[in-house]
Amino acid sequence: MRRYPVATPFRHGSCRRSFTTPREGASMSEAGHARFGPEPLPASAESAPSARVAISLRSDRGFLNLRLNPRDGQAVEAAERILGQSMPQAANTFTNDGHEVYWLGPDEWLIATVAERAAALGGELAEALSGFHAAVNDVSGGFVELLVRGADARTVLAKGCTLDLHPREFAPGQCVQTGLGRAAVLLAAGDPSTCTIVVRRSFSDYVRRWLENAARPHRACISAL
Amino acid sequence: MLLIECPWCGPRAETEFSYGGEAGIERPTDPYALSDEEWADYLFFRRNPRGAHRELWNHAQGCRRWFGVERDTVSYRIEKSYRLSGAGSGRPAAAHIEASEEKRR
Repeated sequence: MRRYPVATPFRHGSCRRSFTTPREGASMSEAGHARFGPEPLPASAESAPSARVAISLRSDRGFLNLRLNPRDGQAVEAAERILGQSMPQAANTFTNDGHEVYWLGPDEWLIATVAERAAALGGELAEALSGFHAAVNDVSGGFVELLVRGADARTVLAKGCTLDLHPREFAPGQCVQTGLGRAAVLLAAGDPSTCTIVVRRSFSDYVRRWLENAARPHRACISAL
Repeated sequence: MLLIECPWCGPRAETEFSYGGEAGIERPTDPYALSDEEWADYLFFRRNPRGAHRELWNHAQGCRRWFGVERDTVSYRIEKSYRLSGAGSGRPAAAHIEASEEKRR
């Protein structure tokens, strides 16, 4: 029987700082988020070499949701030709070659790319897949991507996640949709010291605050969220 | 906490799932031929067995797919979990995809 780490208790109502909810389509930093933390924080991980974990917003990201039947070889081929990379067929994996293509379900993928490219890529995909039983949706406005880096990155995430996040179990190239705290997130393992969180924009403020709390004992460096 | 095996994502904590009630309930092919009692039985009445129970679960925080679970209601032990797209399950979405595949061939 696998043992699961116990989640850090949340400190509801203890935060008195005011914050702005991000506007739809605006990046969180644009929306006037004050940098959080009790004292002024350095702008980047590089300027705080002692930080055991660095959390940052990956801004200007665009997201596409792609649905198609993976057994339809022609449709997969057409999509891969437009993407210029292979689509992950194995559950809970992602491919990263220009774009990130995350496996979301047996017939569903999330494509993360640079924001300016998303609309055009979506159009090209829709055109290439027009003859197939497939759907492409631009969901850029709905998601936020966060990067958690550093030696303690996985330790921080493990405080609110029921999965074993040790690199042995959660190896680079794997992604999981799971719960972080009380929010549903997509976690992706870049390398042993980097994790990407893709979370719904409406939950992003909660996840930001949860991370702030969980990372506090790890000499966290939290930049421009 | 239950450890439930999603047929796609593998074993996950119970908090990631939502329960969907008894599995294997078939919609009557001709509802108009039923008496009120038979219709109510289809619509509202469920087995409440002591022991083996087939039920539906949704991996709500994961791949968001419905699947079947065989669980013992006494010991809470999960005997197996299975995909619903197998033969005889009559999953309409899968049937639709297969039909569109056929059409193109």
